[in-house]
Amino acid sequence: MRQVLREVRRAPSRIVVSVFALALAIGAIGVFAIPTVASSSLRDAAERDNLAEVVIGTSDTGDMNVETLLDSLDNVQAVDTQIETEVSLDAGAPGGALLKVIGFDGQTQQIDLVHAEDGRLPEGRDEVLVSNGVAPIGTTVAVTGQDGETTDLTVVGIGGTSFWSATSAAFTTLETARDLAGLEGVNRIVISADDVGKDELRATADSARDLLAQEDVAMTFLPITIANNEHPVEADIEQVSSLIGILGIVAGIVALVLLGSTTNTLITERTREVAVMRALGARSRPLRRRLRRLAVGIAIAAVVIGVPLGILISNVIARMVLQEFVGVTPDIAVSLPVIAGSVLFALVGARLVAARAARRVTKIPLATALRDRDGSPFGRRFTERLASRVRLGGLLDRTAFRNGVHRRSRSMAIVAQITAAVAALLIIASLATTINDFNAASVEPFNWVSRTEVAGPGLDIDADVADSDPRSEVSIDAIGEFDGWQVDVRGVEDDTLMIDRHLDEGSWFVQSKEAVVSTGFAERVGVNIVYSLDEQPAVELAGLTETIVIDSFQDDGGRQAILMIFGAIGFVVVSVAGLAVASGLAVNVYERRHEFAALQAVGGRKRHVFRVVSAELIPMAVLGIGFGLIAGYFGGKAIMGSFEASNAVEIGYTFAAGVIPAAAAVVIVGSLVLGGLMVRRVTRQPAALTLRSAA
Amino acid sequence: MELTAHISPLDLAISGSIDLIRPLVSATDLTRRWGRGSSAQLGIDGVDLMIGYGELVAIVGPSGSGKSTLGALVAGIDRPTSGSLVIDGTRIDRLSNDRLARWRGGNVGIVFQNFHLLPTLNATENVELALKLADKSVGRRERRLRSGEALASVGLGDKMKRLPTQLSGGEQQRVAIARAVVTRPRLIVADEPTGSLDQESGHVVFDLLAGLVSSGTTVLLITHDENLAKRTDRVIAMLDGRVDASIPAVSEFVDGPLATDALVAAVAL
Ligand SMILES: Nc1ncnc2c1ncn2[C@@H]1O[C@H](COP(=O)(O)OP(=O)(O)OP(=O)(O)O)[C@@H](O)[C@H]1O
Ligand SMILES: [Mg+2]
Repeated sequence: MRQVLREVRRAPSRIVVSVFALALAIGAIGVFAIPTVASSSLRDAAERDNLAEVVIGTSDTGDMNVETLLDSLDNVQAVDTQIETEVSLDAGAPGGALLKVIGFDGQTQQIDLVHAEDGRLPEGRDEVLVSNGVAPIGTTVAVTGQDGETTDLTVVGIGGTSFWSATSAAFTTLETARDLAGLEGVNRIVISADDVGKDELRATADSARDLLAQEDVAMTFLPITIANNEHPVEADIEQVSSLIGILGIVAGIVALVLLGSTTNTLITERTREVAVMRALGARSRPLRRRLRRLAVGIAIAAVVIGVPLGILISNVIARMVLQEFVGVTPDIAVSLPVIAGSVLFALVGARLVAARAARRVTKIPLATALRDRDGSPFGRRFTERLASRVRLGGLLDRTAFRNGVHRRSRSMAIVAQITAAVAALLIIASLATTINDFNAASVEPFNWVSRTEVAGPGLDIDADVADSDPRSEVSIDAIGEFDGWQVDVRGVEDDTLMIDRHLDEGSWFVQSKEAVVSTGFAERVGVNIVYSLDEQPAVELAGLTETIVIDSFQDDGGRQAILMIFGAIGFVVVSVAGLAVASGLAVNVYERRHEFAALQAVGGRKRHVFRVVSAELIPMAVLGIGFGLIAGYFGGKAIMGSFEASNAVEIGYTFAAGVIPAAAAVVIVGSLVLGGLMVRRVTRQPAALTLRSAA
Repeated sequence: MELTAHISPLDLAISGSIDLIRPLVSATDLTRRWGRGSSAQLGIDGVDLMIGYGELVAIVGPSGSGKSTLGALVAGIDRPTSGSLVIDGTRIDRLSNDRLARWRGGNVGIVFQNFHLLPTLNATENVELALKLADKSVGRRERRLRSGEALASVGLGDKMKRLPTQLSGGEQQRVAIARAVVTRPRLIVADEPTGSLDQESGHVVFDLLAGLVSSGTTVLLITHDENLAKRTDRVIAMLDGRVDASIPAVSEFVDGPLATDALVAAVAL
């Protein structure tokens, strides 16, 4: 560390740039942490709220004591009773917005704890606590309950609980809720269990159902079981999270290139200094150790900045995901494995690269290293001599080309970084386009214009809607499970006009227990036509259709959010790559400042210097763009493919060819502007001054 | 570039191509310092100087006396803090950066102690580049021809395709001289051109520079070498950033190729 400090005093800006470049590389690894950060902040919230493990919806329990009835059951730790109902706002106007109302006992609550973030919990009659955004504290909201009567509710707090975090809801006392719902007892039972395994919870739910049935209390929806302390919205964001995690690989590659080139430059820059010390009698081994220590010291300094940066990046993006998809504002969370991984990546990576560079630097023949500024004069290698025979283009173009060959590892690093940036841009744009297209396509086969849902299961749909209007149909939405996959089950009339009945194979269902499934799903899970799905009720496959829907991608807001999140990750990756290109370029130009000063001394103007720089840069940019297009195309395809495989959906792949011109323009213009800035810097001072330091 | 023909400045004066009365270089109160206030570093301080056409002038002085600073200013690769510098009728201290670069290309050849050849270009290409930057009107073929001639005139006709690393120090310095003369500049500034060379190569390089004078080129030679200085027309001594008046401006030991007192007198006006 002392060595690093000494170096900082000697060449502050160069060391600071190295530290920041490495820190950014470490920070970029933080993208990997997003899924973990998102789910761990959700789990933290779940734990804080003591999330229910089993939720049962019932008919009115009347004056029965549900708690004592269920407490005796195996595996039951605690039981709370609640009321769940819906009220309409806007004084019951037709089509008026509905608001979920949850009645709970603020004094005795043990499960699904309701918190007031602002204000307080409801205590008196007609007091409510609402989710953020519903209404401000102190206002009165007129609602119409199940009995058609209008009540004025007073907002006394803002808050909620994990279970309802994705929903706008109002929380009130049991008495108030009872009035609104028209109940005598309660209609919602939440249970926390000792054993939170999936099967155990199901067994508990089943025995609860039996017990309740003996008391003539029926269930109104399938019991919800939340196993293994997951947050109910975790599954919703899992797909998005896994996509983001895969993008982390792109960020990781960019970071790797940045780490390699920064560390390499750090050591190579010291070729001459090392040569002088060797000439004075220093042995190679301690010199190499010193160089390695320097690199690791700088990596440690970078870790100090990079780890918080990574935490910041992952938390900002995780927060965006959670806020957009589930309306939860999570606390700061960290992923220890990712932090440990990025620290290891920086330290081990820096040490490996430094060891290699140090070996090279201490092996250059002394005479050469002392004679030439950068320790490897042009013309020593065969490729360089070959390049010096190439007499294409003007003299300035030749120097550019030969310099590119001379400093080939730096040239390759710049090309690699441009490749990574372009690929990242394309992958992200392609994923966004793919999801967009998929959404559009998945909605396309549906012909309905509006959709009316009944308030509760088993309730009748208004006859006007169902029968008398020829333009309307009834249908059933449910969620089924097959082979461990969750599937959306959509019950429609067999002659439905609401869906385009395009079939890839087979025929449309005509009899009961026949079904059509999406082709992608059938392929993934290996079902064929005339395959009997052995779930209850058993159905027989009649045909395959390409129609599929994924709920979380369906809404427009979700789509926007995906674009936004991908944009944010793209921004991180592209700025890391851009910084890497800039630092590589800066070193390239800075190292050659004496050459440029000599060029100026013999009459070269600024534009000639710029010509040399751009003649070298443009081919690298073009190569980088080319490789980036290829990597972007196949990378995006691979990511989408693995996503399809792990989620048993068929989404397809739309390559965002539209962004190619923009990406190419950004790279070319960006690197020219960068080159121009560098040239301005090195040509600003008089040539004599630069040449003086060349001795 | 004909280095062998012997044309004296007087011949040129008679033919009207140079002006004997007007000096080539005229510096008045030339000062260069770096930084400001008490921490300022003084390079040269109020130097007045005139150098005539076709002169071979040596600048000598102890280390740190401001020789290189003066040379860089005269060569147009540095700018004075104050004072005026007129070269061949142009006030070069007032030119913009690009103008100054263009002026250098056409009017001055510079030879450095460390050669400063472009490492990625071979000998001919290095020479060609200077010509190209100086004069766009010269075609590719002529450029190659003249570069070849210039290299041949410094005795490197057989090493034209060598890269700088494949040449010895003396050879590199000769490439640098070829690069300086190929544009046929009025003025050549050489800052310790023999400093990195052994004595023999040093004399070869000096002879080449001295030979240029015979074709009317002015050479400003900065050197530590007493023996070389003795062979010039005039020696200017520097001390602590000023011209040292205690040493006569005109060398008493003038025995160079051009002992033209008349010319020196005219220039001294
Ligand atoms: N870029 C600079 N910044 C600050 N001081 C400078 C700079 N260049 C030169 N000097 C100072 O100006 C003075 C003259 O320097 P110069 O290089 O002209 O000396 P010199 O006569 O050429 O010496 P030498 O014979 O050692 O080459 C010195 O004191 C030097 O330290
Ligand atoms: Mg000097």
